[in-house]
Amino acid sequence: MEKNIGLYICTGCSIGDSIDVEKLGNIAKNSLKIPVVKSHFAMCGKEGVELIKNDIKNEGVNTVVIAACSPRIKYEEFDFPGCIVERSPLRELAVWTQEDPEERQLAAEDYVKMHVIKAQKGDLPEPYMMETVKTILVIGGGISGMTSALQAANAGYQVVLVEKEAQLGGFANKLYKVVPAAMGEYSEPLIVDSDIADTVKAVESNQNITVYKSAKVEKTDGQPGAYDVTISSNGNSEVVKIGSIVLAAGWRPYDATKLEHLGYGVSKDVVTNIELEGIAKNNGGRILRPSDGKEAKKVAFIQCAGQRDPNHLPYCSAMCCTTSLKQARYVTQNSDATAMILYKDIRTPGRLEYYYKAAQNDPAVMMTKGDVTSVTDAGNGNLHVEMENSLLGEKVKIEADLVVLATGVVPATADDPILNLQYKQGPGLPDLELFDGFADSNFICFQYETRRTGVYAAGCVRQPMNMSEAQEDATGAALKAIQSAEHVAAGIAVHPRAWDMTYPDPFMQRCTSCKRCTEECPFGAIDEDEKGTPFYKPGRCRRCATCMGACPERIVSFKDYHVDMIGSMMKNVSVPSDDDKPRIIVLACENDAYPAIDTAALKHMKIDSAVRIIQLRCLGSTNLVWIADALSRGVDGMLLLGCKFGENYQCHFAKGSELADYRLSKVQETLGRLQLEAERVQMIQLAIDEYDNVPRIIGDFVERVKEIGPNPFKGF
Amino acid sequence: MPDVNRILVIGGGFSGLTTAVDAAETGAEVIVIEKNSYLGGRVAQLNKYFPKLCPPICGLEINFKRIKTNANITFHTMAEVESVSGGPGNYTVTVKLNPRYVNDNCTACDACAQACTAERPNEFNFGMNTTKAAYLPFNQAFPQKYVIDSSYCKGDCAKACKDACKYNAVDLDMKPGTITLNVGSIVVATGWNPYDADKLDILGFGKVKNVITNMMMERLASPTGPTAGKILRPSDGKPAQNIAFVQCAGSRDESHLPFCSYICCLASLKQTTYIREQNLESKATIFYIDIRTPGKYEKFYWKVKDDPNVSFIKGKVADIVQEQGSDDVIVTAEDMMTNKKVRMKFDMVVLATGMEPAGASKKIAGVKYNENGFALPDSGIYPAGCTKNPMDVARSAQDSTGAVLKALSKANSSGQGR
Amino acid sequence: MAEQVISPDLNFVKDIIASGGESLKKCYQCSTCTVVCNVTPDDKPFPRKEMMYAQWGMKDKLVSNPDIWLCHQCSDCTAYCPRGAKPGEVLNAVRKLSIRHVSMVPLFARIVQDPKLIWLLFAIPIALFFVFMPHKSLEFIRFDDKMVYHMFAPAEPHMYAPFVLKMIFGLTAVFSILSALTGIKRLWSGMKAQAGDVKSGGNLTGDIISSAKTIFAHSKFADCNVNRLRQWGHLLLVYSFVGLSISGIWALIYSYLFNFTGPYPFTDPMKLLSQASMLAFIAGIVIILYNRFAQAGKAGMGSYFDWIFLTIVSGIGATGILALALRLANVSAGYAAFYLHVVFVWLLLAYAPYSKFAHLFYRTTAMVFARHTNRES
Repeated sequence: MEKNIGLYICTGCSIGDSIDVEKLGNIAKNSLKIPVVKSHFAMCGKEGVELIKNDIKNEGVNTVVIAACSPRIKYEEFDFPGCIVERSPLRELAVWTQEDPEERQLAAEDYVKMHVIKAQKGDLPEPYMMETVKTILVIGGGISGMTSALQAANAGYQVVLVEKEAQLGGFANKLYKVVPAAMGEYSEPLIVDSDIADTVKAVESNQNITVYKSAKVEKTDGQPGAYDVTISSNGNSEVVKIGSIVLAAGWRPYDATKLEHLGYGVSKDVVTNIELEGIAKNNGGRILRPSDGKEAKKVAFIQCAGQRDPNHLPYCSAMCCTTSLKQARYVTQNSDATAMILYKDIRTPGRLEYYYKAAQNDPAVMMTKGDVTSVTDAGNGNLHVEMENSLLGEKVKIEADLVVLATGVVPATADDPILNLQYKQGPGLPDLELFDGFADSNFICFQYETRRTGVYAAGCVRQPMNMSEAQEDATGAALKAIQSAEHVAAGIAVHPRAWDMTYPDPFMQRCTSCKRCTEECPFGAIDEDEKGTPFYKPGRCRRCATCMGACPERIVSFKDYHVDMIGSMMKNVSVPSDDDKPRIIVLACENDAYPAIDTAALKHMKIDSAVRIIQLRCLGSTNLVWIADALSRGVDGMLLLGCKFGENYQCHFAKGSELADYRLSKVQETLGRLQLEAERVQMIQLAIDEYDNVPRIIGDFVERVKEIGPNPFKGF
Repeated sequence: MPDVNRILVIGGGFSGLTTAVDAAETGAEVIVIEKNSYLGGRVAQLNKYFPKLCPPICGLEINFKRIKTNANITFHTMAEVESVSGGPGNYTVTVKLNPRYVNDNCTACDACAQACTAERPNEFNFGMNTTKAAYLPFNQAFPQKYVIDSSYCKGDCAKACKDACKYNAVDLDMKPGTITLNVGSIVVATGWNPYDADKLDILGFGKVKNVITNMMMERLASPTGPTAGKILRPSDGKPAQNIAFVQCAGSRDESHLPFCSYICCLASLKQTTYIREQNLESKATIFYIDIRTPGKYEKFYWKVKDDPNVSFIKGKVADIVQEQGSDDVIVTAEDMMTNKKVRMKFDMVVLATGMEPAGASKKIAGVKYNENGFALPDSGIYPAGCTKNPMDVARSAQDSTGAVLKALSKANSSGQGR
Repeated sequence: MAEQVISPDLNFVKDIIASGGESLKKCYQCSTCTVVCNVTPDDKPFPRKEMMYAQWGMKDKLVSNPDIWLCHQCSDCTAYCPRGAKPGEVLNAVRKLSIRHVSMVPLFARIVQDPKLIWLLFAIPIALFFVFMPHKSLEFIRFDDKMVYHMFAPAEPHMYAPFVLKMIFGLTAVFSILSALTGIKRLWSGMKAQAGDVKSGGNLTGDIISSAKTIFAHSKFADCNVNRLRQWGHLLLVYSFVGLSISGIWALIYSYLFNFTGPYPFTDPMKLLSQASMLAFIAGIVIILYNRFAQAGKAGMGSYFDWIFLTIVSGIGATGILALALRLANVSAGYAAFYLHVVFVWLLLAYAPYSKFAHLFYRTTAMVFARHTNRES
């Protein structure tokens, strides 16, 4: 696009009072050759905006650089469709954070230059269009999967449902009774028949849903919008075109044979909660002992049978307390039987507390906190459950004729990739080890985000949950799958850059097949062809530009973001010749570090004048060439401000800041060889709320660089 | 004929924002109604999220950015839904708009606040400090626009604010207004309020100086809080080193909130990390009935339990008094595991007060509620997040995404479709 | 201590529920009750653990448990219970079962405790006195046209009734005393067995005296919050019972040693004492009833066990006053009132160790035991 740049300098908010705007304008006109340079005392006001609009209309301006305030505000006012818009935050980065008038002026000049360059180097985004389908694949035909399928189908989407068993329904099929749905306090009956059969019928009769039973996903090839999913069912394989995927593969009970200390496998009369459902279901609700078929009169429920135990499952299965309260009712249907629930903590969060209250209010339901240590033979055909630290005594034995182990949930993904993705990075979802095998999200705020675009987990494969929670969860996952299919079809990214129409466009002729991009992409978006050349799958891409940072050949570009663009911005940063005045470039993540700096500015905190701040999409896009170039130009140091990484990473692109840090460790070796001190480049983790620390962090770094001394390349 | 793809989201807290963003990104037109002067709701007041101990504003920033870049979303702050009528596909909603006294010209330059002569109690910090009556709700508030509290800033003060603004952003003649909206479906995400601790007579709040609530603790620990993040006790500003957490303060109690508020155990566990981080010597004691850390949160519990300076006592606190002759607080509970009634002294006590659904104190005409004020789904009207059941932020996010699909399907089903 | 094997007794749970502890199962063990209780010791406090035992039907842990008697039914626990489990009411039910457990004649306990047997409860004395009181010749025993209740069964040698009546009351008293002593003994040994090897404090007499002091001072009641008013009602009732007992013995002394029979003049010191006691009795019962109704929301309405006892006590008061009033008005219906009065007095006396009245013996026993084992000081 032939660019016709207009620079609009706002003089309001003290910019005009503390900066020589005329000088700024002259620099733009004369050295940057900007044809249209205008100023106004309130550029964001009606008049200011009209001024710009007029220039767009009458002067042919199509690239607007606004030298005013932070891009985080006045976004509505400065929105000019069809134009490239760059915002140079003079108010925050020059006026509010700089004290010295000369430094302010210098900063303002730098920031204007940098953003003009950025505008010059950028292009309007064009969506990546490819042939797509919007069919949604749901893996798992339990309550979660069926709910997702029905919800998506009802919203008008084609759904393919794959169930590994011969019939739909999942665990719900095995249940004798379920907890009734209630909107408030519960009333009798507290156990009701499940309506799973109706749901199965609804799924099977829905014209938008194709069901594969006794089936599994052999392979998932391709990318969101254009997956080729191979489904095998009863010996036949079929490739189906899929747009996005809901992973609702469910769970299995924890292997009770590992719970020998609780008597499982030792006594026939120790059963799991799932087995109890079978006993009740097969005997019309009567609880018969497996050993002799007699009706159980004293049933002990051992909660957390494996859960919350570092030797077994480190998590809580969330559903077992309610399940045992429900199953206690199975037992007490027999008027002279008692159900004893032995718990660590009763966990019935939220409105489930109503259920606890109602279910325990039964003469024959007895409950105590305690740590069950063993289950042993009582010698009279019954069992002794030994407990410590119980509310009945420090060490007690409880006599029971049947023991039910409330075993927990193990996600299907714990040891099976399920999806069988044909991705270079592997067949399953990454990061599962962070969540004990669950296909969960690391983001509190964004529960469906996995590191595989287009794949959304729901139900117990994502987190332990009960049936009604699973249904809600499945609805959300279906929405995300729909959203993903729609976005890919429109050529737009999904979360977190859900507005972004740009995509990575590698210049493959120069690719050396070093595979760094393939390895580093947090989302596995890059595969390799037969020759080992990377092959970009934009449908999988989240636009973090980690590939751009990874590439030593600098061949990965986005329309509005590329190595040369940021590199050129840096090249236009002034480097004072004075040895006492270091110049430091700060690369800041636009999601967290930059807003933190912005907030420090809003509070009028002062930031060392040595720094020039550049926003990056993600620190993962940091290309080492920038560092080498900047330092060889005489820049004294570089500070990278990115999100916290590690187990509780905060990077919205999962790996960006961590990769930047990793790359820095590499560049520091190189710097050493150049006889440049490695400490000139540093990465610091900064969260968005740590704005009060910004001046100190920057100040300390500047001090360290000053101690190291001026860059020997200065002046070259 | 209403636009069938139009969804109204009542509430601009985390649930409402998630709903709005997800619906808009799926192509719907969304209108968000928020009663506060800023978006973000309760989470904006939180210092950190459990279990990651990450700042809530981080996720909000992403959502704000998505709102900024999505033309499908419009929002009204300082607005309240008065009534809802009609049915699925065609609802008529009346919304009251309260005056901000600052218009869209505001550049957040702070000139009005500097000129403002009046102070007001800062309700964002639960009244623990004051702000100017011309103020930005908090540092990272979105929209980044000032507000003038006309009940404190009047006459000369108001004039001073107006005169200080170079952009004609201060408009003291703003009047409350009413708008009528036509939407296809509605998501109710009005969230929750901290349960009124004054009602917990035996727990000393309001009578014993150094008894605060968990939400107040969030503000005390927050860098934008009244003490700039230092956990100081209210009576004398001394660093609170030995703190008791009283669980189920109002929750699981028929006389108060008969349900479990879900978040309080985790919130207290989280808050122990605030104290422990500030001072190596500090101690925390959690008095509980059941520790409820469902699912993966169990590991967070373990992490806190591993800290030798954090102790757990199974037994609900039912008596809190001020020590005679000092500002210390005496807490009484039965330590059930040792079977002894214990009276322990603390610098400060945090009541883990629960969440009362917004519907308990204010119901929207046309929306159905249960006996405790939780909103109920009704064809075309869907509650999301804590409006329907106490839950944490993660579940609110997930639940709100689910509500979008229901709302979309409903908005479509009775209209002409997309 | 040997490891205990617990096998819950569902029937005992059901008994507690049937005895007025229907809210028992709502308890979720938070121990608010124990904290708000001002009469419990700090070590192994009640009533939280008793709620646990009750929920599990652990009869052995309850019926000989001194703590159930140390409870003064202030009902602070009930008022503050977050679950509406009403520990005060549950303990009351457990006390009822404890009385039954230690009773010499369990049938008596059943008659006074089981609402289904209320007919039998009243039928026995009504029939008894119907047979042995010369009600058919009421007019005959008017002397000088004045009504004389004590002569209801005139001390004429040819009349057998007075003797029989005295015999009835005498035997009843002996039965009651024996019942109480048996109960006390059983309770004591039960408590001792329960307590295991707890060291005793030694001086039993001293413990008895200090317990008595506490009882007469009503200092435990003063610790109640919700039922604070009850302290005064109960105090008045206790002292009125003491006063009435003294005046009763006094009257016996008058009639047997001095052959001085009634009706006694109102100026007589014995009469003064009895009238004062009567007033205290009425005031006490009114306060207690008022408090019951006023605090029902917080403290619960109580059970049949409470109300039958309150009925008997109120019945004595009501029929006594009525009889007095009718006598002074010289209306012969007074005889009927007096007849009923005798019925109620007998009920109180006969069932004293079986009805709620038994708390006089057992709470005292438990208090002495608690002192004796250093549980209370």
